[in-house]
Amino acid sequence: MKNKHNINLSDWIIYIGMIGIFFVFTIICSAMGKNFLNINNVMNIVNQASINAILAIGASIVILTGGIDLSVGSVVGFVGIFLAMNIKSGMPIPVAIILCLICGAVIGLFNGILISYGKVPAFITTLGSMQAVRGLAQIINGGQAVSGFPLEIGALMKTKFFGVVPIGVLYVVVFYTVMILILSYTKFGRGIYALGGNSHAARLSGIKVKKLEVIVYILCGMFAAFAGVMLLARLLYADPSAGSSYEMNAIAAAVIGGISMSGGKGKLANTVVGAIILATLTNGLQIMNVATYYQTVITGLVVIVAVFADKRKERKAE
Amino acid sequence: MSENILEMKNITKSFFGVNVLKDTRLTVKKGEVHILLGENGAGKSTLIKILSGAYAREEGTIIFDGEELSPMSPGDVIKKGISVIYQEFNLVPEMSIYENIFLGKEYSNGIRVDHKREIKESREYMEKIGLNVSPKTLISRLSVAKKQLVEIAKAISNDVKLLVLDEPTAAITDKETEMLFEIIRELKSQGIGIIYISHRMSELFEIGDVCTVMRDGEYVGTVNIKDTTEDELTEMMVGRKVSFDKIENENVDWEDVVLSVKNLGYKDLVKNVSFDLHKGEILGFAGLVGAGRTETAKTIIGDYKKDSGTVFYKGKEIGTDLSKNIKNGIVYLSEDRKDEGLILMHSVAENIALPNLDKLCRPFLNRRMERKTAREYVDSLKIKTFSELTEAKNLSGGNQQKVVIAKWLYSDADIYIFDEPTRGIDVGARDEIYNIMYELIKKKASIIMISSDLVEVLKMSDRVAVMGDGELRAVLDNDGELTQQDILKIELAEEVNNEK
Repeated sequence: MKNKHNINLSDWIIYIGMIGIFFVFTIICSAMGKNFLNINNVMNIVNQASINAILAIGASIVILTGGIDLSVGSVVGFVGIFLAMNIKSGMPIPVAIILCLICGAVIGLFNGILISYGKVPAFITTLGSMQAVRGLAQIINGGQAVSGFPLEIGALMKTKFFGVVPIGVLYVVVFYTVMILILSYTKFGRGIYALGGNSHAARLSGIKVKKLEVIVYILCGMFAAFAGVMLLARLLYADPSAGSSYEMNAIAAAVIGGISMSGGKGKLANTVVGAIILATLTNGLQIMNVATYYQTVITGLVVIVAVFADKRKERKAE
Repeated sequence: MSENILEMKNITKSFFGVNVLKDTRLTVKKGEVHILLGENGAGKSTLIKILSGAYAREEGTIIFDGEELSPMSPGDVIKKGISVIYQEFNLVPEMSIYENIFLGKEYSNGIRVDHKREIKESREYMEKIGLNVSPKTLISRLSVAKKQLVEIAKAISNDVKLLVLDEPTAAITDKETEMLFEIIRELKSQGIGIIYISHRMSELFEIGDVCTVMRDGEYVGTVNIKDTTEDELTEMMVGRKVSFDKIENENVDWEDVVLSVKNLGYKDLVKNVSFDLHKGEILGFAGLVGAGRTETAKTIIGDYKKDSGTVFYKGKEIGTDLSKNIKNGIVYLSEDRKDEGLILMHSVAENIALPNLDKLCRPFLNRRMERKTAREYVDSLKIKTFSELTEAKNLSGGNQQKVVIAKWLYSDADIYIFDEPTRGIDVGARDEIYNIMYELIKKKASIIMISSDLVEVLKMSDRVAVMGDGELRAVLDNDGELTQQDILKIELAEEVNNEK
């Protein structure tokens, strides 16, 4: 009886869902005479998913602590324009990127301190900073988009390894691997789960919950900043309104991946699957020439269905 | 008069492949106080939850008031006339008494709620049970005892025929208990059947008529309270005899003060508290609920930031950094397992590891070690769980408490502050917890034991600190002469002051 492991459908449902979606698109597209399932398109999907996947790391760890961060989309927009202007003014690219990451960290620090020490609800704090940071993005260049800067930055997104694997995939693999290991194998990672599971018990177990919460928001801000760099490198064009509603896509990826909105439960590895599912939908529907508006409707419904399926176990328990 | 109000037969239920109820039965007559007795994990709560509709039964029949009940929702069960009052109340704290009583059955003309009528009727229900506060009072402002009365008033308003009370006296004072018993007797005389779950033996003999004992999910027997003894019931519960004698402690080093608290103050909850704790000592903390014992403990470890006073640990002054104090070896085992002791959604192993991550991470978490250690504690403390990977919420109260203890045993601290270590825990598991404490002092750890159970205080303590109204009223030697009355007298002195 001891140590017996039940194979639980709920643990696999997201993978089944992902394969199912691939399967459906493959059939429909081939019936329409279009090519969906080939290595280039799969890489393309992962590459399209990469920015959202990076944002979703931040969303996941914040949600795991029982919080939420709505400001990441604005950080993407702000960082894009900040980076573009710095590069244009002749700042070396690595320095400019590091500066962006520092900006992301500072915004995260601001959020984190208000939330953990200031006791302002995360939703309110980050709703406020979402507006404020978006405003800053507009202010720094008078609301104008920036273009026409040295194109070397493009290498950050447009490089391909072995001619097939886009560099975006590499970022995803590296960051996810590191963060999954941190979550599973460090005191910090365990602390994140404990904080979201029961902050009181975590505190009385000697976890420095406030400090930990601040660090989580800082990390989230830095991932958002990095996503901002990636977006600029992909578009080679910085728009102060870039990244709008990206926070929702990131949260959606985390939630599809089964991260519990109340915190304390979920696997980061599944978040990347969530991001890929979202990108697959967009990609497949584009190939099928479905109008953008319908794509949004379908994506929204998929989020609900995913969570509905994930809650199967809880419903059963009742 | 002797007609059955409830008959539960052949009830079976399992969770995750473990049988928690095996062919259990329970028969309650009208106008009878039926005690449901059993260790934690014996299946009492599960049986009640099946009755209330919170769980679905796998097998068995329930006949209520002459009618067979098919499985139904908790709401429908209440409408039939069965009310269950759990330890954690089902009241909305930010709503008033009358709104809570009429929650879900508001008088309404379709648009507006008839507040006046609800208030008037609530007052009638409340008068019946002697609850003399305004029906407009918010629940959050009421004491535990009064919340309980509101629950009873709510039950009466639902035309209750069978009332289930789950450990109703766990968190109320003796005087309030007396009042509660008055009400129970009144309800009984109206022919209402009452199922009463409690671990306090003395109470059972005062209020009970009949007692059904359960063990390991099985029905053991039903006896008339008049014809039985405490020993017999205990034996039925645990299947063996249990001792209540004072434990001889030869491990105290009266020369070695490990913790010295001087003039500690926190808001008006802890007032100028000073005491010493010696190596190998068990210092009992007695007092009524709200006397400031938990607050004192939390101020010592730094969970509450002290306003005044100093705490010396092994001769050195310590600050209010909670996690540092824990690391240094002062740990607090909360009375509130669910909110402060455990992360219920996480596994037993993860819970045990939580305060000990420094030991397990070098620098990366050794998960094999984590599981192995948890496994060892599950075995040595006899924690009943499917596996060490089971989520803590699936364990019974006593077993959850053992997980909390395992967390801190592993941390190898020097000072253990146990806050109500056996609250809601049955006799058998209690002895196990006492043994664990005894093992700790043998290893020269020191223990502060906050407890409202005076039998326990006298059994375990070397000295007894009595608190009242935030003050430390006395520190008494438990020399064998000390009696419950001695302690009570000091506790109650405070209560008289309160009433003036």
